[in-house]
Amino acid sequence: MDMLLPFLVSGLGVGAVYALSGVGLVVLFRASGVLNFAFGAIGALAAHCAWSVLEADGGQALAWAVAIGVSMAVSLAYGRLLAPALAERDTSIRSIGTLGLALILVGFAEWTWGEGPRRLVLPTDADGLEFGDVRLTWTRVLGLATAVAMMAAVGLLLARTRVGLRMRALADDRGLSALLGVRVLSVDGVAWALSGAFAGVCGMLLANIVRLQPTLLTFLVIPAFAAAIVGRLKSLPVTVLAGVVIGVLEACAILLPGFAPFRTAVPFLVALLAILFFRNTTRKA
Amino acid sequence: MSTSLSTSGRTNVPAPDPAPDPMQALAPALRQHARQQWRGLWAMGAVLLLLSVALLLLSNSYWLKTFTSALTLSVAVAGTALLYGQLGLVSLCQYALVAVGGWVALRLSHGFGLPFELCVLAGGLCASAAGMVAGLPALRLKGLYLALVTLMMAGGYQVLVSAVGFPDGGAGWLGKAQGTGRLMMARPAWAESDAAYLAYVVAWLALILVLIEWHRRSRAGRSWALIRRGEAAATSAGVHVLLYQSWAFGLAGFCAGVAGALLAGGVGQLDGRAFAASESVLMFALTVVGGAYHWLGTLLAGLLLRAVPALLTEWGVNGFLAQVFFGAALLHALITAPRGIAGQWVDGLTRLFAHLFARPPGPSRERRS
Amino acid sequence: MHPTFILRPVAASLVLMAAFAGQAHAQATGKPNCGLNNGKKATGEPIAIGAVVGKTGPDDFSAPALAAAAYFKCVNENGGIHGRPIDYVVADDQWNPETATQVAGKLVRDRKVLALVGNSSFVECGANAKLYEQENVMVIAGAGVPRECFFAKNYAPVNTGPRVSGTLVAAHMAKTHKAKKMVCIIPNIPSLGNWACEGAKGWGAANGVAVETIAIDPGSADATSVMLQAAAGKPDVIILNLPKGIMVPMLAAAEQQGLHKKIKFASTTPAYNADVPKTIGKTWDRAFDVHLEFMPVESNGPDNSNWKAVMAAYADKAAPRDSFAQGGYLAARIATEALLKLDAKTLDRAKVTAALRSVKGFKSDILCKPFYVGDGARHNANSSGPIAQVNAGSFKQLTQGCMTADEPELADVRADEKRLGL
Repeated sequence: MDMLLPFLVSGLGVGAVYALSGVGLVVLFRASGVLNFAFGAIGALAAHCAWSVLEADGGQALAWAVAIGVSMAVSLAYGRLLAPALAERDTSIRSIGTLGLALILVGFAEWTWGEGPRRLVLPTDADGLEFGDVRLTWTRVLGLATAVAMMAAVGLLLARTRVGLRMRALADDRGLSALLGVRVLSVDGVAWALSGAFAGVCGMLLANIVRLQPTLLTFLVIPAFAAAIVGRLKSLPVTVLAGVVIGVLEACAILLPGFAPFRTAVPFLVALLAILFFRNTTRKA
Repeated sequence: MSTSLSTSGRTNVPAPDPAPDPMQALAPALRQHARQQWRGLWAMGAVLLLLSVALLLLSNSYWLKTFTSALTLSVAVAGTALLYGQLGLVSLCQYALVAVGGWVALRLSHGFGLPFELCVLAGGLCASAAGMVAGLPALRLKGLYLALVTLMMAGGYQVLVSAVGFPDGGAGWLGKAQGTGRLMMARPAWAESDAAYLAYVVAWLALILVLIEWHRRSRAGRSWALIRRGEAAATSAGVHVLLYQSWAFGLAGFCAGVAGALLAGGVGQLDGRAFAASESVLMFALTVVGGAYHWLGTLLAGLLLRAVPALLTEWGVNGFLAQVFFGAALLHALITAPRGIAGQWVDGLTRLFAHLFARPPGPSRERRS
Repeated sequence: MHPTFILRPVAASLVLMAAFAGQAHAQATGKPNCGLNNGKKATGEPIAIGAVVGKTGPDDFSAPALAAAAYFKCVNENGGIHGRPIDYVVADDQWNPETATQVAGKLVRDRKVLALVGNSSFVECGANAKLYEQENVMVIAGAGVPRECFFAKNYAPVNTGPRVSGTLVAAHMAKTHKAKKMVCIIPNIPSLGNWACEGAKGWGAANGVAVETIAIDPGSADATSVMLQAAAGKPDVIILNLPKGIMVPMLAAAEQQGLHKKIKFASTTPAYNADVPKTIGKTWDRAFDVHLEFMPVESNGPDNSNWKAVMAAYADKAAPRDSFAQGGYLAARIATEALLKLDAKTLDRAKVTAALRSVKGFKSDILCKPFYVGDGARHNANSSGPIAQVNAGSFKQLTQGCMTADEPELADVRADEKRLGL
């Protein structure tokens, strides 16, 4: 147990990463029916803008404002200008469209900021909770708290508010919703803007916890999909829990002899195991 | 009672034609359809032949290697296009299956010195088996779930292959060379030079495309079409869903494995870091952009994957800017061409031919007076 | 009076002052000294020289080629190779082995380059070593990283490589801190993960120091767990043998966990970059040692000053002036001096390859020991280097003079050196 504790705690940090990204992905999926491959890319762009602000001594508040502003703007632009053109196609194609956006954003970020070791330092890095020899920095606690808060807030939004109801209707059947009088474009806009704001917050936290590197942050969505899959792309609480569990398992896998260099495969293995327990969703006439 | 509308009251109204026998009309229609199919196949063969001749004549070393890679990946894209175009199933792990095929081919070639074709077939069969395993979830999940599950498999495989690497002449299970230089995969004796190897790859591509076309026109193709409509419809029509679905995944895996072996032969070796999960996603994206419903789309997707980036490199475009253009082009193509670029071209060509070779209008029915 | 009346002459004089200041600065770094040094522009038939670099990808390794391009430009303005200018073609392999073979084919077969100078790529050594051997073309690389770069007949990197760098930094830390137990962290890539930390291990085995290797997935999002894993065995020293992009989060994680208080940290050459001290922060001031493959960037020896002068006069402002660039400059100088020994009118690939193989005793104050190529089966001529330490936002040389690596795998290189009479 003594050997396990440090990795349990550090696993919570990684778990926060997966939980945050997973919730962000599921939120947009439930609100607009699109699985957003560009979630990490939007966050990465936001984090780089924030880094530039911090380098220019703009202060934390401005950096966060810029980050969230940029991510909301990009997400809204895509959601209002490009996503509607794909709205009639099937879900996989709409998700591949976001891949195009991801490539554009990653290429742009790499081209603008270039290579170079960078750190996004947040004031919450300085201290944390001590568990014996290990410390859980406040940034990671913040990450976990944000994931839970997002889950609660969006859960409430979708379940209890009018806007949420319209979003769910839109995600379920766009044409029918339009017939019923749901204002398609403005509800879409709300969904994408919300997702963009989440992407900005997640991007900042991930850039701090993982690494400020555009390509890596973008393709971090792939392990995050594992958490989303366990949550069946529906249940936010399960996604958060799955993300945290996957992170902890990945960290603790260091203790398995010989498996340590392969432990980045843990999210994928967990997802594949989870689908064995899924009920059949295919029976359609 | 007279049925004539004439005012003269004459009774020499031509007897109405007897109702045409539906079976008699069917036979020539079927024959015309078969002729069209054959024409399609001949067109495919002609295009491939012309393409290979043009590429061989016009290319220098850089472009020979580029086009070899592009057409090799077209072989893999054929599999993805099969799954998406015929069955509507999204597979985001095709590039991982390419790696499986390449790995097997390299290990057999270095370890046992087997002839190249055997290595290619072995690679194809192993990737086929892996593909069928990847297709098992498809029996219970569809649509986005299947896509995500195959993505998870690709992700897991990425971790494995980047740690384990590809065989390069050493001994043991993994075949990694220690201490000696890396061994290149031996090409077939008559395809040693780059130009000859390109022709060889085109031959394999033609074989694979014919294999898939033959499947489409056979019972398998009809079963796939029914499965696409819905499993209830397929089962009630007597189609063995498990068999045909696994068959499709196996065939797609075979295409990927053959592509992997050909890639290993073309480049001489494979590197574990080049098979990330994102490559599989990009391959699917470009399959859709090229067109998953026509063999021309397969060719275009391969060229988009390798030849277009090579062109941008030739022109000295910054690699990251090229990525931006690529993403924008991907979005544009997805939005404007639902059946892919090939779909647009084929539609355009069909309309053009119809316009050029339109039959003159038949004699109009005259009103007998 | 209207403000612009005053502003315009003020602005103009400011511009003039800046121009003079720039001139003065250029003069302060001296006039660059390259090739024949006769100030005459070369106008003969161009000599094709190539380079393959990994520019677009996880990191940008194009600095050696940029420095070599600057040197060749200088050479072309100073008489070229006996009147013939050098046509330097740089290709980006985008960190993709397939692309690496394509661009190497383009340079070697289509463009028919006589040699490749200033290569630096993670993936091209393994992909192209056989091609270079078959086509009998020599590569004087600015920076080699994986094992294949140091185990090829036609590939001679001017840098030490991560294995030798790791060995040297381990030897230094053992001496300085009387360490008995060390951990070496390396990315788990074939031909790096099972190779680059083994030098330190081999050296340690012969000197009573236990060195354990931890291989990590470079795409991993979890630096904290790796640091905890390394610290679990209670080592005295942790050596990071990682690209700087991965190394920085590791140090950040170590700092957050307070490991810097108990364990000493050191790194191989990739950490020697002007941005690193600022990025890793004040915690690591005078607490982070780095092995350098060449003498420090700010040294004042004549060749190092010449490198700075060449970069100032002929390189883009944005081109990095780091140890990668030093490597590219050295490679270009080696190639130029070898070419100048040949008859310019009858240059062909075979002659150039032979000339490059016979390079011996190439002296520069950037290098600790003279460089040679030789006709051995592999090349690792640079196996020394000083140690520097992070100090007040930059690096400061710690050791006087250089250490030379001493580990079992270098036995064949030492045998070659003996045979060549070095």
